[in-house]
Amino acid sequence: MTVVEDLAPPPKVEIRPRAVGRREAWARRLPLLPALIYVVVVTQIPFVVTLWYSFQSYFWDVPGGAHFTGLSNYTKVFTSPDFRGALVRSVIMTASAVIVAMILGVVCAVLLDRKFFGRGVVRTLIITPFLVMPAAASLVWAGPMLDPNFGLLNYLLAPFGVNHVAWLSTHPLGSVIVVMIWQWTPFMTLIVLAGLQSQPTDTLEAAKVDGAGALATFRELTLPHLRPYIELGILLGSIYLVNTFDQVRLMTNGGPGTTTTNLPFYLYQQVNNAFDIGGAAAAGVVTVVLTIIVATFALRLFARVFQAQETRA
Amino acid sequence: MANVRYVSATRVFGKGMPAAVDGLDLDINDGEFMVLVGPSGSGKTTALRMLAGLEPLDGGRVEIGDRDVTFVPPKDRDIAMVFQNYALYPQKTVAENMGFALKMQGVHRTERDRRVREAAKLLDLDEQLLGRKPKQLSGGQRQRVAMGRAIVREPKVFLMDEPLSNLDAKLRVQTRSQIAELQRRLGITTVYVTHDQVEAMTMGNRVAVLSGGQLQQCATPRELYDNPVNQFVAGFIGSPAMNLRTVPLTDGGARLADRVLPLPPAIRTAAREAGLSELVIGMRPEHLHVTAASPQADAARDLDGSAELTGEVILVEELGADALLHVRLPEGGNQVVARAEGRKPPTPGQAVTLRIQPDDVFAFHPVTGARLAG
Amino acid sequence: MIAIRDPGLRAGRAGRTREPTRQLLRDVSGRIGWAVLAWAVALAFFLPVAWMVLTAFKPESAAETWPPQFTFSPTLSQFQLVFSGWGPYLTHSVIATVVSTILVLALGVPAAYALSLQPIKRWRDGLFFFISTKMLPIVAAIGPLYVIALKTHLLDSIWVLIILYTAMNLPLAVWMIRSFMLEVPGELLEAARLDGAGRIREIREVILPIVSPGLVSTALICVIFAWNELFLALNLTVTNAATMPMFLISSVPQEGLFIAHLCAAATVASVPVIIAGWIAQRSLVRGLSLGAIK
Repeated sequence: MTVVEDLAPPPKVEIRPRAVGRREAWARRLPLLPALIYVVVVTQIPFVVTLWYSFQSYFWDVPGGAHFTGLSNYTKVFTSPDFRGALVRSVIMTASAVIVAMILGVVCAVLLDRKFFGRGVVRTLIITPFLVMPAAASLVWAGPMLDPNFGLLNYLLAPFGVNHVAWLSTHPLGSVIVVMIWQWTPFMTLIVLAGLQSQPTDTLEAAKVDGAGALATFRELTLPHLRPYIELGILLGSIYLVNTFDQVRLMTNGGPGTTTTNLPFYLYQQVNNAFDIGGAAAAGVVTVVLTIIVATFALRLFARVFQAQETRA
Repeated sequence: MANVRYVSATRVFGKGMPAAVDGLDLDINDGEFMVLVGPSGSGKTTALRMLAGLEPLDGGRVEIGDRDVTFVPPKDRDIAMVFQNYALYPQKTVAENMGFALKMQGVHRTERDRRVREAAKLLDLDEQLLGRKPKQLSGGQRQRVAMGRAIVREPKVFLMDEPLSNLDAKLRVQTRSQIAELQRRLGITTVYVTHDQVEAMTMGNRVAVLSGGQLQQCATPRELYDNPVNQFVAGFIGSPAMNLRTVPLTDGGARLADRVLPLPPAIRTAAREAGLSELVIGMRPEHLHVTAASPQADAARDLDGSAELTGEVILVEELGADALLHVRLPEGGNQVVARAEGRKPPTPGQAVTLRIQPDDVFAFHPVTGARLAG
Repeated sequence: MIAIRDPGLRAGRAGRTREPTRQLLRDVSGRIGWAVLAWAVALAFFLPVAWMVLTAFKPESAAETWPPQFTFSPTLSQFQLVFSGWGPYLTHSVIATVVSTILVLALGVPAAYALSLQPIKRWRDGLFFFISTKMLPIVAAIGPLYVIALKTHLLDSIWVLIILYTAMNLPLAVWMIRSFMLEVPGELLEAARLDGAGRIREIREVILPIVSPGLVSTALICVIFAWNELFLALNLTVTNAATMPMFLISSVPQEGLFIAHLCAAATVASVPVIIAGWIAQRSLVRGLSLGAIK
């Protein structure tokens, strides 16, 4: 009897679902159907209706209901400075919040990646802003934090020469963005932290032996490793942040004027103040189209990130 | 190029836990290929990492080239290490991997490229591979890149942590000899860790056997085989493993199964002086000769002083050139393994006679495992 | 060199060199500095929350002062006010959150199963479809949603929220549960199949027990998003289905002092979700990254 040991790792086989018979195929689809049908009905129907109304002139406060008006709603949207302004502001708010939150997230993740006294508590404290109800966060920042007369921030900054600044009046956009950053940094932190903790320790040791100091290791090894995580964080963060509504509505109500009006708030105003269902629908459709365009680029990124996903037959 | 010294080096991982490396004293000569071998948990990898600076010392010190490097960070020790899983930088190309340490030292690009290409040639790495990333390489190629990364640095000491364990058997044997030859050519002091005693015996100038964090014996392969200093080394070195049995002492020798095995006077004296009533005897399978039964042969053999055992063959492992016989001895069901000729080995169920020279019998203290009268 | 060691001997400290004091000091101060920095950042992030909770215990007179007060005689009167007013809002939030989460799990578990362990042929498309619904902004359809809700008599009813929250959380849940299911060892499933377990049996007795901690995390994440949701609640409900976020808004009166009361309401509104998030901390990453990261 001869014993030969073969220690080669098993070859990587991409697991494909076996070719299955028709009945089996349907049996497999069945569990998916309830969720699929539900989502299709609840999300696609409203969009179809939105599309329908976008071609209608439908004012809530005008008797007579909806009547067909062709592309006039769309013309209004594309020529409306308000819509364009809201779009620009959405981009500015989302981009600055995402970028700053990601930078702070990397800093926090690096801090959390090393063992120290009370690390678990520190992590819990850092993720709390994400859990605070956005409505609560907005109102608490607007009042107790940022108020010119009794706000905590002015008190803390007083030694630095800051004198009773009315943040929401003089820096409305900045104030809203600060709250967005405050609430979303934990999100970025957790994603980057997962990336840091997935780094294989032996490559880090090899770098130590090869003479790389802490900064060189971070630059040459850690950052390239973190790239897919940072991309994912920016992508997902943007998706969530572009829909920011609570902070705008409750801190500045889109103002002063329209300084903090972003797309979600603009659409809200169209419905609630202008009662313009048709206009809002058209604006909504344009928003969706823009989102799809951006999302297609994003999905290509997604595909790479999710490449590792596989199934079992 | 430098010598390496462990002086009473100790590493303890947790309070109250047994030491992972317990007071290791080891001198490694300049240019020597020293193998640290032992089962898992023996402390060999920890000892290597202490030399690398990846594990701190809790006691004792480590010296490289007569310089105390105990508190010197890894990058200042002028060492290079090959990791068990290669630890190649995944986002860098092969050339960047190999040139990384030089880049950290500030070596100019052209010089870096030259040295990388030289090392690649030395290791038989195709030029095309230099631009690829690790995940595009085979296991054997990755192993060579890991070695290349170490060679390029021209360090004082090479450290290797089981670099062959992830290769398949055939590649392992091939690469083994390549590494040994490379080391001879470059002449750099090498400390090599493995759990495979065959690797240890074939590659090392000297081999240090570790168990439970303690050095058992450090000697040339020949010396370890011929003169193991305790039961652990005797049972660990040599394949197939030595037969070890605890047996009671009787007049003239030790009682094994239904025979008395004559023991040399030196052993008997040592046993008596130690006040032992039993001891552990060791017999290598290759020293248990299978003999054919014939009156002349019997007579001749009775005169040569060899001890005789009889038993029944339980299992035959055919290796081609040899065969390993598992023989059950009467009275107590003791089993021993003997090596026989591969051509026409006995079959299971057959009765067989084994002979061994008394001088080939090892004896060990039943409690401490120390060799008696070596 | 041959060294024979007594197996019982412990490590000797002979000849140990002391670590150079300078290096030791640098190591220790580095570690302390790191901890200090980390704690400073954590406290900075937590400060607004701490301030909110602190202010909730203030009488109004102590809440709008300059300089802001850190010491005062605490009172529970703000909380009493909150608890006297929050009844219906609380009920609505709880119902909307719990029912929608149950629905999400009921629909999501089979869907995740069909996309992971017994995958359909076009499972990738299915997954991406779910994600795509998350990407399209719900805000775009708010007008027509309002009209639909009105025409189906669901406006200002708890059901409109339940239906929409379920749709909102379902993609997230499917991705998360799927990632948990992929962790079930293949051998377990094969053994169950060899033992003759049908599909339902397989789910119930093999998969669910292993995946249940993951289901709890998924549920907690869904609870977080449903509970905190404002936009849909604001637009589609008035009184009969108003949720806690609406309660918060209502505690901001047109005139008069209200800061302490607001903080009490904010604290009460946020605490359940904060606790849920602290418990589900480890799964937050998985939930937030849609299961892409463990």
